[in-house]
Amino acid sequence: MTDHDDQQIRKVLQQSCPPVDPTLHRDLWPRVLRKLEDPSKSRMPWYDWALVAATVLTVVAFPRLLLVFAYHL
Amino acid sequence: MDLLRRFTLGDIDAFETLVRQIQASIYAWIVRIVRDPGVAEDLTVDTLWRMYRLRHKIRVDGNFEAWAHRIATNLAIDYLRRKKPEHSLLAEPVAAPNSDHLLAREIREKIQEAFRRLPPKLQVAATLALIEERPYDQIASALGISVGATKVRVFRAVRILRKQLSDAGITPNAESRQ
Repeated sequence: MTDHDDQQIRKVLQQSCPPVDPTLHRDLWPRVLRKLEDPSKSRMPWYDWALVAATVLTVVAFPRLLLVFAYHL
Repeated sequence: MDLLRRFTLGDIDAFETLVRQIQASIYAWIVRIVRDPGVAEDLTVDTLWRMYRLRHKIRVDGNFEAWAHRIATNLAIDYLRRKKPEHSLLAEPVAAPNSDHLLAREIREKIQEAFRRLPPKLQVAATLALIEERPYDQIASALGISVGATKVRVFRAVRILRKQLSDAGITPNAESRQ
């Protein structure tokens, strides 16, 4: 790809894409603080626990799988 | 004790000061990628929340803003992966009176569609490099890769885009229409 090609595609994309206003119009600290104070946001979701439990059970039931996993690392 | 060190120790007042210093920069970075102010605000809040959760991982002598942009970029890439195809990265302009003179509407839509179909990692690199014209070292830092790897991503994005536009019967020449 030449610089000329690059410039062409750049120009086409810029013409197709509306410019965005990069200015933040409000203070987001109150929302951040609310999120920090929400304990449900910091808890691990149930499906992550389910995944951990399934992994542990699989390894206990089939310990040789660890070797297969290590081989593919 | 300086602000950053207090933040890494979990001082919420120090974090508030840092948020007020950096939130505009993070928002500006994210909105350039996702091109939707509402989504960008949500992702900025998520970025700041995640920064607090990961505060022990930051090196006090490191570049705080680059670290923040990297978290923001990863969240923006996750968003692009998750979002439904009808929500375009390159949303229809609200008011662009002269754009029809530059490019026909149907061609613009085809270009937008081709851009949406790019893999998110390539889409982000191409958006920042080609549309927003950010410096490659800044993009590389935010993506957590080298400048060379960033250029490769942009190159691959352009190649895929060119092929898709060619298949759609469009020559990527801004002045001519087919």
